[in-house]
Amino acid sequence: MTARAQDPGWRTLQGNYAGSVSRFAAYAIDAAVSSGLFALGLAGVSYVVTVVTGQSVNWNRGNIAVAAVFVVWQFFYFGYSWAAGGKTFGMAVLGIRVVRADGLVVDPWRGVVRALVFPLSFLLFGLGFAGILVQREHRALHDLIAGTAVVYSWDARSARLGFLTREPDPNRPEGGKEDTT
Amino acid sequence: MPDDSRTSHAVILGAVDPLDRLRSAGKRVTDPLESLSQRVAERVVDLVVQALDVNALVRRVDLNTVLDQVDLNKLLAKVDVSALVERVDLNEILAQVDVSALVDRVDVNEILQRVDVGALLDRVDLNDLAGRLDMDQLIEQTNLGAVIARSSAGVTTEALDAARSGAVGLDRFIDRWVGRVFWRKHPRPLAPRALLNGAAVEAEASP
Repeated sequence: MTARAQDPGWRTLQGNYAGSVSRFAAYAIDAAVSSGLFALGLAGVSYVVTVVTGQSVNWNRGNIAVAAVFVVWQFFYFGYSWAAGGKTFGMAVLGIRVVRADGLVVDPWRGVVRALVFPLSFLLFGLGFAGILVQREHRALHDLIAGTAVVYSWDARSARLGFLTREPDPNRPEGGKEDTT
Repeated sequence: MPDDSRTSHAVILGAVDPLDRLRSAGKRVTDPLESLSQRVAERVVDLVVQALDVNALVRRVDLNTVLDQVDLNKLLAKVDVSALVERVDLNEILAQVDVSALVDRVDVNEILQRVDVGALLDRVDLNDLAGRLDMDQLIEQTNLGAVIARSSAGVTTEALDAARSGAVGLDRFIDRWVGRVFWRKHPRPLAPRALLNGAAVEAEASP
């Protein structure tokens, strides 16, 4: 075994500022999951109302009450996740988490503030999210207001080692070329 | 009228010392006696030396008592050790040393028992040592890889790692292009101050 400089590309990324694709993918998963859960919740409520009252309930998208409940649910979903563990389900899947701007574990109140100001990034024509691309620390508008940042929390190097330890596929021919005959 | 005979006697007596004859006679007697006594003394010494048992004499000497009276420090202070060492050909001495035989006489286990391994390890920078290891090569060449694979491999894990790796790759790609577009001369900070060593965030266990 030799001692050589490690490939910087496979050093652990743990603690590094997360990039735009990871964050957007995490948000897409969260949006799908939270909306799915909300729809399931509405379906459950409709079922219970139908069983109890015998009348079917149809939820209308334009219904203000439904929209208000949806907003509250979104706030709860994101706010609770960030305040309790610093990450939502989508962030856990993508291996990222919210921390304080200085890197310490995020305070619960910062998680709540981040959820409260999160819509601001949408309301300004999405410009609030531009910070993820152009700001030096990949911090969006809601990050700057809440004093938070998003970092990678998974160990890329461990994943690389796991990849190296995979046993070769016995069905795969030598050289990695598929048998086309 | 002066006495002329008295004047001539005084002149003669002034030129001749009456003790000269006596001295020469004594010298004729003492010289042979001196040489004779010299020969006698030498002969006596020879006889005494032959009669002496030097070994027995040395055995009777208490060397410790003699050495107690010698101030070795004072003696050594007079010795020029540097000059002494310069005259010694150490290479020649070492060439004559049978190192194998020397090592055979050394009880390595006893030496190791005296070593304070804890103190020794305290002086070793294990992080630096681990950082110099080529872990990829280590995993590939040893059974350690199989152990890790058995303990952590899983379809879900691999899928998650693949998805995360893909996302990270795209993150970096976009970062590079944004940097080019904005003509960034200074690199971005990699991580928040408290996370620069990557230690403050616990590793997220893949499901």
